[in-house]
Formats: sequence, C-alpha cells, structure tokens
Amino acid sequence: MGKISALQLSYGAIFVCLMAIGANIVIWFPFLAIPIGGVSVPLSLQTFFAILAGLMLGKKLGLLSMTAYLLTGLAGVPVFAQMQAGLFVLFDYTGGFLLSFLVVAYVTGWLSERLIPFTLSKGFFIATVGVLVNYLIGVHYMFIAMNTWLGLTISYSTTWISMTPFFIKDIFVALIAAVLMCKIVNRIPKQIRLNTH
Amino acid sequence: MNKLILGRYFPGESWIHQLDPRGKLVAAIYFIGILFFAEGWIGYLLLLGFTLLVMQMSGVSLKIYLRGVRPLIWLILFTVTLQVLFTAGGTIYFDWGPFTVSSYGLINGVFIFLRFVMIIFISTVVTLTTKPIDLTDAIHALLRPLRVVKVPVEDFALMLSIALRFIPNLLDETQKVMDAQRARGTTFGEGTLIQQMKTLVPIVLPLFVGSLKRAEDMADVMEVRGYQSDKPRSSFRQLTWTRYDTVSIIIMLLLTAMLMLVNRIGAYY
Repeated sequence: MGKISALQLSYGAIFVCLMAIGANIVIWFPFLAIPIGGVSVPLSLQTFFAILAGLMLGKKLGLLSMTAYLLTGLAGVPVFAQMQAGLFVLFDYTGGFLLSFLVVAYVTGWLSERLIPFTLSKGFFIATVGVLVNYLIGVHYMFIAMNTWLGLTISYSTTWISMTPFFIKDIFVALIAAVLMCKIVNRIPKQIRLNTH
Repeated sequence: MNKLILGRYFPGESWIHQLDPRGKLVAAIYFIGILFFAEGWIGYLLLLGFTLLVMQMSGVSLKIYLRGVRPLIWLILFTVTLQVLFTAGGTIYFDWGPFTVSSYGLINGVFIFLRFVMIIFISTVVTLTTKPIDLTDAIHALLRPLRVVKVPVEDFALMLSIALRFIPNLLDETQKVMDAQRARGTTFGEGTLIQQMKTLVPIVLPLFVGSLKRAEDMADVMEVRGYQSDKPRSSFRQLTWTRYDTVSIIIMLLLTAMLMLVNRIGAYY
C-alpha cells in the first residue's frame, strides 16, 4: 500500500466519527423511526456512511476507515448503535452487520473505482450492491450466531423475514447516499483515493 | 459529551487498572474464548468465580457492572426463555403444545445465561479499567506484526487517535445542524417513507460537508507541522510490560488447565 497522506488519514478518521453518529442518530431524533408494514424501524445511518466511505474513499482507505471504526468500538468508546461498546458487541447476533461494513466499504469502493465517471444511476447500483452485501453477511452471521453460541434454534427463513423491514429501510437510505454523493462528487479532493489509477 | 471520549472508563488505582492494556486485552479475548469450552456445573462455577474475583479486584462497584448488563437484559432473557422452552430431555416438568420445560432445558438455560453474563462482565472489566486512548495504543502494539504484510499500522493508529479526538466535536456539530433545521421548521417523523427520507438530506448534507471541511483543516495542520507517513514516530504515552502482566497471562493459562481438568472430572459423573 502506498504512502498515506495527512488528508487521507483525516478523511478516514472523519468517517469513523460519521459512523458513530450514524449509528446513534436516533438519540437526537427518537421519532426518526420509519413505519414499514406496521413495524416501526429505528433509523440508523451506518450502512449509509459505510457505502459513502466506499464511494468517497475508495476500497483501500474505505476498508481502513471501517476497520478503525470497529476497533474504536472494541476499545470501549461507545460508537456502536445504542452507545454500545466492547468486545461483547461482536458476539451479539447483530455483530455480523458490524463486520460486514468492512466488506461493504471495500466492495462499494472497488465498484466506484471501476465505474467512473460517477452518475446517479451508477450510484444507485453501487449503493444497492452495498446494502445487499451488508445484509448477506449480517443475516448469515445472525443465523449462525443464534444457532451456535447463542443456543437458539431459528430457521433460516425466519431470520430473513425478521430483517426485511430493516432491509427496506436501508435500501432507501442507500439511495439517499447515492443522491448525496452526486451532489458532492465534484467537491472531493482528487488525491483522496489510494492508488486508484 | 466528555463522557463519550472517556468511554466508560472508571478511574481507579487497582491491580487491574495498572495492568498493561495489551495484556488485559489479550487476556479478555482469551477468556471469552475459553468460556465456550466450559462443560458442566463445576466448569461454569470455576469461570464465574474467576470473573467475580476479577470484578472484585477492579475496585469498581457491582452497581456499575450491572448498569452495563441492563441494556442487554431483554436479549439475554429472551434467549434463555427460548432455550428453556424448546429444549427437551431429562425430567419434564411442564408440557404445553410445542413448549416443554424440562430439567435439561433449565440447566441449559442457566448455562447460557451465565455465559452471556460472563462475556459482558469480562469485557466491561476491560473498558472500565482502561482508558480508550490506552486501548488504542494496545491495539496499535498488537497489530504491529501486521506490518510484515504491508498493513499501514502506524497510519492506522494515528487514524484511531484522530477519530477519538473528533468524535465529541462532530457530536456537537450534529446537534447544531439538527437545531438549525428545527428552527427552519423542518418536521421530522411525519409523512410517507419517501417524505421522511427526504427530510434526512438537510441533516446529513451539512453534517457531511462540515466534517469534510474539518478533515481538510486537520490535514493542512498536519502538513504544516511536517507530517510524513513513512517516518518513524515516537509516542508521548509509553506502554510498559511489568512482571504483573506476565503473572496475569500465566494465571489465564492456569485457568485453562484447571478448566480442562474440571471438564475431564465432570465427564466421569
């Protein structure tokens, strides 16, 4: 990996903070819960920022930044959803979603490095792939966690069904990420990405 | 918001507080690992006893530990209840449709409960007795071998410290943006899904642009002070490994040996 400039470093660090805010945005807005099919889904912008990290920072810096986010949380700074922190969070059944952010940032970063110049439709595509990756890893981890160390027997389909409202929410949130990226794509310094040529 | 940067660190002078964060982190992860190998009553009691002893030695009151469990208590109870209701075997005390309360289920439920509680307690011990800044130093030290495979560990550690420094600022900023949008009459929590999503843009966009500007300022300051990513760096805080840390690692190994012994004995009953 090439030399990392001060700008890249601080952009990466800022995304760690944004992830922390995105995870806990309901603290400022308790009413930001989205009704989907009778279920009120609390809003979280983690997937949103993970996708943006990939789009903006590219695969390598995006991955680096998400790893930093995970480690900050594991080190005991309450940056995860519901101001949680610590090692336990990864063993919880939602731990897979946290781990998946690494892959989400990498995959969306990889795609965005390939699909240049950035347009809204490409953004939609990349963001949707990001959410799919997020849920594929997250739900499978949940299924495995419940059926092994948490000792619950839950069928595969139940796991997916229970996550559907969240999935719908995140698809919408991801589309906003694409729109936002479109608005600021020209503002991002060119030298931010690592070895993109 | 100052509470946040310190995490849940609880100042103290105990033996556990003074351990090297590297050793503490490794020991905690190791302990969580061996938890999954406990079998039978004696094994669980041994580990529970150890956990309680460590908590006692940390000099932090039990109340603060219990506060850490509180947000998770429903999840734990839910898991335990399901475990109790759907496990059959042994003496059956109660049977109603698909639900059975059996001796096997109850025992399993208690074990799972204990395992949960111990994982939470032990990870809380680490976060309560170590400053996040020390833990990031520990992570940095533990990741150092990855330099061999070209992972930029130094940059990574710096990124962690910058993030720690910025989190409180950005939290304040979020609050400001939200107040500003409220003052402009943005209504949240009403309308269709699409309308709700649209109200997010005026929150996220200023927050985003504001934080990028912060990042650029930070980078400028670093450039001006001559930051070079590939130069050797020194650190203001130095971690020191003492013989107490070695002792604590040996204790973990002894605990593993005892657990294996106990499991072996338990197998004969």
